[in-house]
Amino acid sequence: MTPTSFKARIRESIANESLQIALDNNAQRRLNGRAAAFESLPDWCQRRQRAHAIRAEVIAHLDEYRDRFISQAEKNGIIVQRARDAAEAIKIVLEAVAAGGGPGARKLIAKSKSMISEEIELNHALEAAGQRVVETDLGEYIVQLRGEKPAHIITPAVHLRRHEVGRLFQEKLGIPYTDDIPTLTDTARRVLREVFLTAEVGISGVNFGVAETGTLCIVTNEGNGRMVTTLPRLHIALMGMERIVPTLDDLALMLSLLARSATGQKLSVYTQLIHSPRRADEMDGAPERHLVILDNGRSALQHSELQEALYCIRCGACLNACPVFRELSGHAYVGRDGSIAPYPGPIGSIISGGILGFEQFGHLAQASSLCGACKDICPIDIDLPKLLTRVRAGHPYDKAQNGQSTGIGLSWMSRAGLKAYGWIASSPQIFALSQKLAGMGTRILSPFSQWMWMPSFTGWGTSKDFPRFATRPFRERFQRRDTLRPGSGPAPSSEASDKQGEEEKEVQVPQVPAQDLVARFSQEVEAVGGHAYRVRPEELPQRLIEFLKEREVGEVMTWDSIPPLNQSSLAEAGVRLERSPNATLRVGMTGALSAIAQTGTLVIPAGKGRPLSTSLLPEIHIAIIRTSQIVWSLEEALQNREVRGASAIALVSGPSRTADIEMTLTIGVHGPKGLFVFIL
Amino acid sequence: MPTVQLFITCLVDSFFPEVGEAMVRVLRRAGTEVEFARDQTCCGQPAFNAGLRAQARQIAEHTLRVFESSRGSVVIPSGSCAHMIRHNYEELFADDPLWLPRAKALAARTYEFTEYIVDVLGITDFGAHWDGALTYHPTCHLHRGLGIDRQPRALLANIQGAEIRELPEAEDCCGFGGIFSVEHPELSAEMLKRKIKNLEATQSPTLVVCDAGCLMHIQGGLHRRKMKQKVMHIAEILAKG
Repeated sequence: MTPTSFKARIRESIANESLQIALDNNAQRRLNGRAAAFESLPDWCQRRQRAHAIRAEVIAHLDEYRDRFISQAEKNGIIVQRARDAAEAIKIVLEAVAAGGGPGARKLIAKSKSMISEEIELNHALEAAGQRVVETDLGEYIVQLRGEKPAHIITPAVHLRRHEVGRLFQEKLGIPYTDDIPTLTDTARRVLREVFLTAEVGISGVNFGVAETGTLCIVTNEGNGRMVTTLPRLHIALMGMERIVPTLDDLALMLSLLARSATGQKLSVYTQLIHSPRRADEMDGAPERHLVILDNGRSALQHSELQEALYCIRCGACLNACPVFRELSGHAYVGRDGSIAPYPGPIGSIISGGILGFEQFGHLAQASSLCGACKDICPIDIDLPKLLTRVRAGHPYDKAQNGQSTGIGLSWMSRAGLKAYGWIASSPQIFALSQKLAGMGTRILSPFSQWMWMPSFTGWGTSKDFPRFATRPFRERFQRRDTLRPGSGPAPSSEASDKQGEEEKEVQVPQVPAQDLVARFSQEVEAVGGHAYRVRPEELPQRLIEFLKEREVGEVMTWDSIPPLNQSSLAEAGVRLERSPNATLRVGMTGALSAIAQTGTLVIPAGKGRPLSTSLLPEIHIAIIRTSQIVWSLEEALQNREVRGASAIALVSGPSRTADIEMTLTIGVHGPKGLFVFIL
Repeated sequence: MPTVQLFITCLVDSFFPEVGEAMVRVLRRAGTEVEFARDQTCCGQPAFNAGLRAQARQIAEHTLRVFESSRGSVVIPSGSCAHMIRHNYEELFADDPLWLPRAKALAARTYEFTEYIVDVLGITDFGAHWDGALTYHPTCHLHRGLGIDRQPRALLANIQGAEIRELPEAEDCCGFGGIFSVEHPELSAEMLKRKIKNLEATQSPTLVVCDAGCLMHIQGGLHRRKMKQKVMHIAEILAKG
């Protein structure tokens, strides 16, 4: 029988050696990756404070921002519905699935990662209604095949090692056993590609909603988020009501912190900005887009003293930094009834209870030494230890009761002990007397050693000895005059104090000369696993023809026009050019609206004659840009008016990738395996 | 001569009085007038961290009363207790217009021991001597909560004869966390195990901390394992010489 109490789960997790190795690896790799990524953001402390202020502003005026966001999104043609709780959200999704996406009552649903869907247990409801739903994030797919919940909000299969995934795929997908991660990833690519191409419905989460533009921002590395929003006829997006930022500028700031904190990337491989359903003149993108905005206890949280928990952008960094999560993984964070909390770790110990009730999940907040590693790493500077102590204090919704409240989740022994101590420590006489008695008592218990053995039922005695009380406590030893007179002994030397120089340096975004922009862009493209080539305009056709010939490619999916390239020269050389989405072609060729030097990112808009699938379905993506299109930062790129005008934008930073199996970076999951940028 | 009000903390008072004595020696050598209010007990942190705010308030109110009738800076040999007064008192009395200003007034004159010596007195060299290696563990509330790290390190760097060895994964919590170590003993044990493993890797016989709670926790773990390493409060090191 599987033990279900939180304490039993803790013991089980600690005893599971394979899990411990997996979690140690996760913590180390994630923390190192994050640290390296933030080195490229020297003004990160200021960014963090700005991000905190923006999130605080939004949460304080959430109704206004949400209304503005909804009206913009509706203006853009997205069908927006609000759900008060899980049951309402499920009902909305079930109705939308039944009505849209194509004929027939039973649909195939391709789903990209959404923590909201975990929170409302959507898959279960969809299956009960006879729908077939397939998770397409590699980690989520693995846990779905195992019939489990995700063990981490960013890395769902963090608890598994490669041989476990190998055995799972052998059993469920009928492939010969292998623990080779690229082979396993490739298998998932093959199986899930079929799902993407045949699914009638795509369900995704939403990382941010932008109030000024009604933009849905969805971030993935594998490309599954792009697939499920581009290929099926119906797209349903699920979003927590707090995930709003005011402007595209604010979005750029959040994205710069999110990817670095979550996965140690400067920007995730695919950052999508979705504005509207497919337009009449476009060849792909879902023609029908729904957005479900979920409350599910968030309004109550917003008006409680745990409000700050709603600032969270779900990067998962506090899980990686938490020494307690490092022993447990998400599966150990269980409620009173044994059900797994939807959100684990430090932030999860606050919001799981905040959303689903503290009677059920309040005790999780005691599983922290309040060491503050979570606050330290949080890109929004959320004071997690403070919030944890507020959960422990109980009654977070009722400030008036706070003084009366008692620690949530405390054992009766601790509670009784601390209550007695409260009485003792409020009176100096009783305190001194108790010290004296304890001093004598422990001297009798442990006459020869200053440290006493304690039985393990005391908790302390599990792993350490306890000090004997002093028979002469400090209060009896203190003398107003010491044998050492003031000023005797070696004279301490003063120092001018090295306090200066500690302040953060103001970092200005430099005016970067064009040459440097090109060099930096190329360097960043290579750093994320792509290739960048400088070519002269007149050489381009020949270079492309050679490129295709080397790879024995005779057909290319391409945009109607890529301004610097005369495509007829390719046709003359015998290359067949395909303008509409075609999943069988190996190479896709696109232009870009702009390119971002700092992160090696291509900004690729949807539109007439430029299907989104061209940069998504083929194995190889060729992008052709001019040097004049390269800008320095994400902020600058998002200021471009065409960004707001397009039905959807994909920000592409390198080839598709995953690290869902043992944190091992693997290139080419759902999107292209190769990215080649020709810079004219 | 500046006056220092010792807030010795319940742990130093009851378990490690020699740390308090060392602290008095160091503060006197630094030229301060050291006073000790005998009615003091505890800052209320154990109850506050456990979520028992009524009990925490009871103790905190007592502490406020004790120090209100005194003058000078309140100096504390434990980062977590200084953090309690500096940050958590404000939280504890947030809704109380009578007590909040009193809590803030105490917070404004409260310092952790090394912070007081380095930042207020401007002293980093006591001419102390130590033979052998020392390893410093930055305790969580001191380092993360109060942002105090430069000060103890500067004091240690000036100790003659001492070889300072960096502790791997130094900033990781030792697993104490007050009531956490009792409520979740298995988790606490794992964290302690890692801390001790890292201490062993330094082969340093002495670990220096600025918090009596962490001292008690790590020393308790070392003693259970019959290990020879000793955990010392920085005041004990500075007092030698």
